Amino acid sequence: MTNPVLEAIRTRRIARALTAEPIARVDFEEVLKAARWAPSAGNRRLHHFIAIQDPLTLKLLRMVTPGMFQRPVAIVVICIDRAKAMSFGMRPNAKGLYVDVGTAAQTMLLAAYSLGLGSGVVTSFSQAAVSAVLNLPDGLSPEMFVCLGHAAPTQPPGMPTRGHVTWQSLTQWERFPKSPENAPPGPPASAVATSSRP
Amino acid sequence: MAGTMVLTEDEALDLVAFLVTAARTQVDEAAEYGPLRLLMAAGRLAEFIAERVTPETRAFLMGALKQMPELAVRTSDPAGYVAALDTMCRAVGEHLVTHFGLDRKAP
Repeated sequence: MTNPVLEAIRTRRIARALTAEPIARVDFEEVLKAARWAPSAGNRRLHHFIAIQDPLTLKLLRMVTPGMFQRPVAIVVICIDRAKAMSFGMRPNAKGLYVDVGTAAQTMLLAAYSLGLGSGVVTSFSQAAVSAVLNLPDGLSPEMFVCLGHAAPTQPPGMPTRGHVTWQSLTQWERFPKSPENAPPGPPASAVATSSRP
Repeated sequence: MAGTMVLTEDEALDLVAFLVTAARTQVDEAAEYGPLRLLMAAGRLAEFIAERVTPETRAFLMGALKQMPELAVRTSDPAGYVAALDTMCRAVGEHLVTHFGLDRKAP
């Protein structure tokens, strides 16, 4: 089965090499508009997006982001608005806060892809350094970057696959069987990655 | 070429920032990212200095030092990963011997 949405989900890839070509402001705004429609726990909207296109700010952000392979021409910094979260009585590590970072990011990745842009997410940065570079107010914690640009024609090899992954290997239908010998097949524990974003 | 400045202040700051922030991110990251980050730092340094070093060092930086895929990690092939690192380290040693003239020094 296929349709444009499924096709986009299946074919989108992280761009680890981007060209220096700027992206149009209108496209950047479309990506941000899409994020507004991302699922949000309780529809609380506890996130804030910082949109960056200034070359010097981009350069400094890259300097404090060891996980950034690409040189993006635009970045959306997804922040958790912790003050707002506290006003709802949420604990600092409430999982909904982080889940919603992911839903916003994935929505932006798909929106960017639909516009012909390259994109990638990065979490390996120093929150303290990023807060200093962006002069973030207290209460906003930077959690993820969505890097944007135009994908370079040649991309570096991606993270190697650890075990053969299919939708079936990721899925358990209904309850787990009781006896160990009936356990579903899956990749060995040593092949399960703890993280896939360098 | 000995004593030649091969790094600008901006480039050095870039590398310092990378190393310090990588020390922090590594606290939360998968342990296998440790070597990856160090190789990334080495790669950045190599790119910064490549145009200002001797042709021999440039060849080393762009050759032996680039053999490891950028995103290689240990879990995908533990033995192969260590072997590739050893190959790079051997190349480092060999280049140091040549560059500093240890092979030309009288016994």
